[in-house]
Amino acid sequence: MRNGGEGRARLLLIILIVTSLFLITLDLRGVKILDGIRSSTQNILAPFQKTGSTLFLPFRNFVGDVTQLGRTRDQIEKLKADNAKLRSKLLLRKNADGELSQLKSVLDLAGRAGYEVVAARVISQGASTSFSQSITIDVGTSSGVRKNMTVLSGDGLVGVVKESYAHSALVMLATDPEFKVGVRIAGSQQIGILSGGGSKRASLQLLDNQNILKVGAILLARGSTYNRPFVPGVPVGIVSAVDNSAGSIAQSATVMLYAKFSALGVLSVVLRAGKNNPGDSLVPVAPQPIPVPTVTIYATPSPSTPTANAK
Amino acid sequence: MPLRQFSISSLIFILVFLIQESVINQLHLPGSGFSLPLLIALTWAVLSTPTVGALTGFISGFFMDLSQSSSGPMGHWTLIMILACYTVAFLGSGNDNVRGNPVTNIFLVSIASVLTLLAFVIAGLLLGISAGSFYRILITILSNGIWALLVTPLIMPIITKLYRVVLRDRAHT
Repeated sequence: MRNGGEGRARLLLIILIVTSLFLITLDLRGVKILDGIRSSTQNILAPFQKTGSTLFLPFRNFVGDVTQLGRTRDQIEKLKADNAKLRSKLLLRKNADGELSQLKSVLDLAGRAGYEVVAARVISQGASTSFSQSITIDVGTSSGVRKNMTVLSGDGLVGVVKESYAHSALVMLATDPEFKVGVRIAGSQQIGILSGGGSKRASLQLLDNQNILKVGAILLARGSTYNRPFVPGVPVGIVSAVDNSAGSIAQSATVMLYAKFSALGVLSVVLRAGKNNPGDSLVPVAPQPIPVPTVTIYATPSPSTPTANAK
Repeated sequence: MPLRQFSISSLIFILVFLIQESVINQLHLPGSGFSLPLLIALTWAVLSTPTVGALTGFISGFFMDLSQSSSGPMGHWTLIMILACYTVAFLGSGNDNVRGNPVTNIFLVSIASVLTLLAFVIAGLLLGISAGSFYRILITILSNGIWALLVTPLIMPIITKLYRVVLRDRAHT
């Protein structure tokens, strides 16, 4: 009986082994039915696997974090460093874009007037505690910059070179209380003296009272002898308020300076003025209002019903 | 093994296969994790006679072959599992010192799982299936052995109870 049982067991083992070898042979010979069984099984399993994957995601993340603790920390540090580097690059890029835009506008202004200029970058802002309004630029005598030269931005007059060193120069801003420039009202020959007021608002004192000053009048630099310290034709500002008090000898006004003093980046120092006086050619063009299209709708009344007419 | 017991055993291995595919494989355990069908089949075989062991190996191996993650041809795992489960059952049968001692069973299952994987790799190489670098194979097999040592004590009581329930008729006879 025992021998019979062992014999059956061995026979079963042989049958099972032969079956498995048969399966292997069929699969290796590329019988499609076995691939079909596998793919069908996968189709059945897919929803379970998807559910399991979703359910065990937190655990999987936890296991992943534990097993890769050192590597994760290193990766975080590396990513932080990369992030800081990219932020810095982005900041530099934004800065460069801003500077490029400023350089473009200042060269455009200088080009229209025919000025010979040297581009400069602001490297330092004067301390406000000294009550003077000044900046330091990165060009100096080595680039031909001398004392009493006009400094421009794309918007207009910024100031004048107060001191010049080998590779830098100190510029007194038009906002400085000690700053004074002779100006001319665009479109006329009326002249006056503009004084800095410590802010973007400057004060204008006209030299005669023959013409009436109006709000919105544009002021241009009148120019100096041998074009130093000021070259002629540079836009300075726009009259924002006029003081017409009776009895005053000369008209005075408040002027809003064109230059954006809080965002000075790239400037130009005028080394030499053009051969001809640019006159009013540098007067900034006022922004044109964008036309708003008007749509007119004509409503045609529908023919009234006989009942309505009867009523 | 009567047809009823064979059917119940098959259902159990389908469930185990499902757990392996939808739970264990999703956990991404360190060292490539462990194979629950392999451990359960070996544990089942430890408690069985060689005939039941061979049948258990056939059922579990067939389901392991059905897995999409199985690298070998259909029948590869089946062949290895038949031989592994038969051998384990053969070693345990008639020896109460082995069958009655859980610690021995745990070590037997763990060693058997390592040797089964090794046999699977060797058979795969003979069939022309690439199994990766030697280092990777070594790490996978060793970590499977460690996992087997950790998991088998947990599944052993459950499998023993299940085995008694399923093969109760046979035990009574």
